[in-house]
Amino acid sequence: MLPDQGHLQRSTLSDSYDVPCPRAADFPFDTSPVGLSPAVDIFSSGANVALNRWPSIECHRVDAGLAVWTVPSWKPGWSKVHTVGLAFPEAIEFLPPEEEKSDDQSESVRPKKEKPEGDADAEKTRPKKTRLKPPSDALSLEDRLFYILQPPLETMLAGQELIMPFEPFPHQYEGIGWLFSQEAALLADEMGLGKTMQMITAVRLLLRGGQVRRILLVCPKPLIPNWQREFRAWAEELPVVTVEGDTARRNLIWKMPGVPILMTNYEVMVRDMEAMPEEERPKFDLVVLDEAQRIKNRDSKTAVVTRDLKRKRSWCLTGTPIENRPEELVSLFEFLKVVNARATPDLRQLSKLADQYILRRTKDIAMKDMPPRLDRDAYLELSPAQKYAYTVAEKEGVVQLNDMGDQVTVQHVFELVLRLKQITNFDPLTNESSKLDRLVADMEEIAASGGKAILFSQWTKVLDWLAVRLQQFNPLIYHGGVPNKKREPILAKFKEDPSKHIILMSYGDRKSVV
Amino acid sequence: MASGSKERKEQIRLGFMTAIEIGERSFVGGLLVTDRFGRPLEFQCTTPVKPNRTQELLYGPTLVPFILGELLGKALMDRVSVKPSLVMTSRVEMLELRTKVAVPIIYDEACSETDTKMAESQKAVSHEQKVRIGRQTFRTHEDFADDCSTVERISQQLSDDANMHEPLERVGDALRETMSTVTARPRVA
Repeated sequence: MLPDQGHLQRSTLSDSYDVPCPRAADFPFDTSPVGLSPAVDIFSSGANVALNRWPSIECHRVDAGLAVWTVPSWKPGWSKVHTVGLAFPEAIEFLPPEEEKSDDQSESVRPKKEKPEGDADAEKTRPKKTRLKPPSDALSLEDRLFYILQPPLETMLAGQELIMPFEPFPHQYEGIGWLFSQEAALLADEMGLGKTMQMITAVRLLLRGGQVRRILLVCPKPLIPNWQREFRAWAEELPVVTVEGDTARRNLIWKMPGVPILMTNYEVMVRDMEAMPEEERPKFDLVVLDEAQRIKNRDSKTAVVTRDLKRKRSWCLTGTPIENRPEELVSLFEFLKVVNARATPDLRQLSKLADQYILRRTKDIAMKDMPPRLDRDAYLELSPAQKYAYTVAEKEGVVQLNDMGDQVTVQHVFELVLRLKQITNFDPLTNESSKLDRLVADMEEIAASGGKAILFSQWTKVLDWLAVRLQQFNPLIYHGGVPNKKREPILAKFKEDPSKHIILMSYGDRKSVV
Repeated sequence: MASGSKERKEQIRLGFMTAIEIGERSFVGGLLVTDRFGRPLEFQCTTPVKPNRTQELLYGPTLVPFILGELLGKALMDRVSVKPSLVMTSRVEMLELRTKVAVPIIYDEACSETDTKMAESQKAVSHEQKVRIGRQTFRTHEDFADDCSTVERISQQLSDDANMHEPLERVGDALRETMSTVTARPRVA
């Protein structure tokens, strides 16, 4: 039944426009509804009965061709693990491995100290250990692992037969570790920071590890007794042979087998190497140059001969790697074999090389824990006799300089200054000396407290003059005029004899004491 | 007798074994054998092992102990020429290696301090399983009670002040160095 279209239309209008809806009677035309449903007749086809019958349904099994598979035989398929190995020379002693025997139980054991469980604080306060780092130019994995797997230096030194007379400072441990791993190294620590000790300990470790067997140390002649003393102090087990004596003896020493450390001075080394045929020249695992600024001039005979030394490792020691200009480093780098022969690296390249091959620490950085050096200037009045002598000398000197007119030179002025300085030490006529008076006063205090003093002077004559007047303090004299053989006993006596309170030294020999 | 004792002392070989995880669940193990002073005698490290997804699912929580203990640890112990008298490890999972080898495997308890899960498991460890070597306390595998006496006997010949944790750090550093070198190396076709 369809809805009343007229009503629908009206109601729609009414809803849409909200106006009053008029009634049918109000319209002037007929609005009676007309049915729109069409008549439907069923077409007779003969199958009408079948349409009223229920369908018949039957089930049949059909093979779909599908199957469920299981994995009853899964096994964890781990591929074989491969290993990469690195054997150290010391391992030879441990091969073939011996089985631990059961009679180990019978071995006497020492009682273990009971330790508190909670010693974590003690662990934290322990000083940091110095681990070796592979050198930057070590490329192969084996070389790098060799250094990474070494125990900390402190452990290497403390637990073994490597007795150290003194506990090294942290910066010294660092230096030892650095030298140990470097084939080319320039240790340029400031004087007094222990370059000698660092080098000796590094050599000691290398020798013990079998990495070097034959070492040559070249140093200035006056420092040979120094090195001998330092080797005795820091590595007494190492035999050190000094190349000295006549030519035949020196030749014998150069060729002597089984000597781990040879020591010589620059002059002897140059002379002997030049005299030796190339094929007979000895080979070294390590050559160390002390005061290496001696080869700063790359064209000098010393530099040329030094560079020709047959060696695997090259180390330089110096407190002053650059004395005048940066180019001086090039000669040292050439010896270290980190630049090509006749190379002329610019400043940027030198700086890069320095980062890699130079280790330099200064006292203000390295020795933070040490008390600062106390410099105390003392102004003394000259004694009357000194003052008189000084005034007379000054006046006479000025007069003489004036008389010389145009002939006067700076040298003449220096000579006058020198003479005046000598008078400030003591008056040559009366031997009066305000410095001596003050020195005696200070020494009485030092000697009373069991201390010792070192006095430096520019003039050996002043040292002799002082020695006579300081007899109550048992003075020792050490200067260039003292024969080499007597030098070491003098220093030993100063260190060991408590009655020797003062040693008088010339400037030139101050490095020996340091 | 004295010389015999000395000889035995020199023959102590300490093993330090650890493993590190590289990338996503990929492990590499290392074993350092040292003399009693901590000086290296031999080092072995494995190639990386990465479990596949199936293995991860099927092994569940036993996966890492299996990889570290049985795969890496066993391979290292088989390959090392200088056989250690005992093996110290910083990975508790490697304790399982003890079931495969005749050498005491002990775990550095200090390493559990950073791992809460491990620290909790420590509570269950009996005193009989703990043994001190040098400055460190170690724990043995729970199924091998005799290991404590063996380890104590070895520790008598070591310094009371010896740091047994430090060589484990060396092994870790060496593994990292090896991996960084290997991964940095250009692949040759």
